[in-house]
Amino acid sequence: MNARASHAILAAAAVLVLLLLAGEAVDPVLYTAENTSTAAHADPATVKERSPGNAAALVPLMDDLLGQTGTLALTIKLKDYESAERDLARYSDLSAQFDKLVVTLDVSGTDVGEFQQNNRQNQEALATLLNDTRRFEDLKRLEIEVQDGEQRMAIAYEGEALRQKMREGFASYAKRETATTRIAEHYGANATPYQESVEDFAEVADAADDRPTGGGTVRSPLGIAVTPDTGRYGETLRIAGRYAGGTPGTAVEVYVDSRVAATVALDADGTYAYPYRVGRVLAGPHLAYATAGGVYSGVATFEVFPKNTTITLAAAEVNATAVACTGNLTAEDRPVTGAPVLLRVDDGTLVAGETDGNGTYRTEIVLPAGEHTLRAEFHAAGYPLNASGSEAATVLIRGEGLSPLPFIAAIAAALGTGWYLRRRRPEESPPAAAEPPAEPEIIETEPEVTAAGLPPREAATVLFRALRARLGLPETKTPRDCALLAPDHAGFFERYERIRYAGEIPTEEELTSMEKVALGGDPDA
Amino acid sequence: MRETWTVLLILLLAGAAAYAHATTTTEEFSRYNVGWNGTSALTVDEDPGATLLILAPEKPFTPEEVGYLRMFLDDGGSLLVADEEGNANQLLADLGSTIRVRPGNLSSLDRGHTDPGLFRGYVVGNSTLFAGIETLLTNRPAAIEGGEPLVETSVLTWDDGDGDGRVSGDETFARRVVCAREGNLTVLGDPSLFVNAMLAENPAFIENLQPVRIDVHSRTGTANPIINTRVWIQQTPLAAAALAALAVLPVAWHFGRKRDD
Repeated sequence: MNARASHAILAAAAVLVLLLLAGEAVDPVLYTAENTSTAAHADPATVKERSPGNAAALVPLMDDLLGQTGTLALTIKLKDYESAERDLARYSDLSAQFDKLVVTLDVSGTDVGEFQQNNRQNQEALATLLNDTRRFEDLKRLEIEVQDGEQRMAIAYEGEALRQKMREGFASYAKRETATTRIAEHYGANATPYQESVEDFAEVADAADDRPTGGGTVRSPLGIAVTPDTGRYGETLRIAGRYAGGTPGTAVEVYVDSRVAATVALDADGTYAYPYRVGRVLAGPHLAYATAGGVYSGVATFEVFPKNTTITLAAAEVNATAVACTGNLTAEDRPVTGAPVLLRVDDGTLVAGETDGNGTYRTEIVLPAGEHTLRAEFHAAGYPLNASGSEAATVLIRGEGLSPLPFIAAIAAALGTGWYLRRRRPEESPPAAAEPPAEPEIIETEPEVTAAGLPPREAATVLFRALRARLGLPETKTPRDCALLAPDHAGFFERYERIRYAGEIPTEEELTSMEKVALGGDPDA
Repeated sequence: MRETWTVLLILLLAGAAAYAHATTTTEEFSRYNVGWNGTSALTVDEDPGATLLILAPEKPFTPEEVGYLRMFLDDGGSLLVADEEGNANQLLADLGSTIRVRPGNLSSLDRGHTDPGLFRGYVVGNSTLFAGIETLLTNRPAAIEGGEPLVETSVLTWDDGDGDGRVSGDETFARRVVCAREGNLTVLGDPSLFVNAMLAENPAFIENLQPVRIDVHSRTGTANPIINTRVWIQQTPLAAAALAALAVLPVAWHFGRKRDD
């Protein structure tokens, strides 16, 4: 085959290969992982293995929560308060776990979220029932012990208040049964213990009704009313009443859901009033009562309705690695203050924030370089508000860029190498072993030798340097180099090499002889 | 002489590269696609007693073909229809089956990957196809309605209509069936289980399926003309003989000319 033909064939083969490579460059499946997902499927090898949370634990946790309501209501009914305390603590733990899971899995807007809300209310209702039942037992014991008529009346007022509370509590507990059972059954959770807890709750409330303290229904001189009897987040309800026979200035404690909401003083006309702002309370029915000294009012009820919320998100770059997320949380144009806000990064990581007094939040998040999707969420835990989420915002993080250190190190290494090679070059061209080294041009100079009084080894070094200088050899040359370059003085240099590197100590005679050589004496020394 | 051999070797390598390049494809489910979304690694059998797999059907079935399939089922043959686009629904109706494929965007929270469509289904029915298997990794499957359920999703599954990766709007959690059967007919809502990248994810299922042969209505073919020509040549003895002659004749001519010289 002639050269021209073979060159033509090689050129054709090269062109063919280049064309094939060009084709792949347009559709680079061979060296990128971009074409790894279609409408029908995704390549599992390229999808990150990370679950959104322990979803498998969700339904078992629902089961546990429902079971715990049954256990707790039963122990309350059996008046086994020690066990009931333990059950309540366990129930609280499980509820906290469930709340966390609902947020992690981002399902607060689903019926799982509704179950979570109901569960919180159930937990609160059972905790109240436990406290009220215990107090009711105390009252019955006190009723037997106390003989004083006024004290007996106080006990009667409180007993009546407790009975009312239990009745109202039961009404609200039972109201949630249908929805909670429906959700539980949808997810295959066992709602039977929960349904039994409703029955047990009813029995406890009925038992209190059957055994009134104070010898029958009493009408308290301390009145109470909530106006209006319904409200929403941010609205103010008026809890007020009259204390018949009360002294002006008497402290009246106003309770909402068994917790002291405020202490107000009785007016000159025997009335009191407390403006109650609906804040972080659960949606649904609530109880209010008041006490003045030992006198308990009746129980007034009011209902809080849920409100929709809106959360906004604006992401702005702070620096190359951080982004500032700001936004507002409002409930139908009213700011939601001091509320927890979660920022979900790329459908995974959660970053917490909180709204200020204007319902505004601001959180800075440090992110790795690349594109990220952010979303702000309000999960409404404990609020009479519906959960909400913002529109997704996409941010591009530039990253810190390339560190200058590797470049500095590389330049330094290059400079160092250059310097080293330049310094080594004269030494790296020793005379070939086969050929005798060329006799160096020896410039005889008169050295100044001052070895007297020095220790023997140091004196030898001084003499070596003197001879090297006299012979005009570079200072970088070792004794062995010198022996090669000046074979006439090889004996001197080899002796010095042993002194220098083998640690031998020269005798006085040897030093004298070396001095002679260094100064231009006997070369065989 | 050495130069000639070098040129021949380079030509051989270039030819092999050109052949490999021209005879592969990136088409979905194609047997000639050696990439992740092809089905080149799925072992198939031509045994008439093997399970007949209709994989991601795209061509309509004629009444004769439906009749053949009905006869095949009546004779005890096993038919597996793997479809997620609903193209098989007409065939299923024609076969008298109540099973239907409901295309959608099934997503699940009960998953181990970031992609919501890549999740595990749970075997709930008794079938040799799923013998010894508890879960099946599915890849963006469709829901199946009707028949006896064989594989179900977790209850934390939803049809992500708006594709935002979360349960929103009217979307609700519910358990969905992704594989069901009626007699010898099994319908699987996920043909992706047979692509190369998924074979290693469900090895027991693929093993239980064997031996399997693929129906011609499946989307496992290709539109690549070079591949189709090669396949035609392989399947047509006369064409193969003609090609062999075309290859031999120049060599014979070359040697004959040399002898004359």
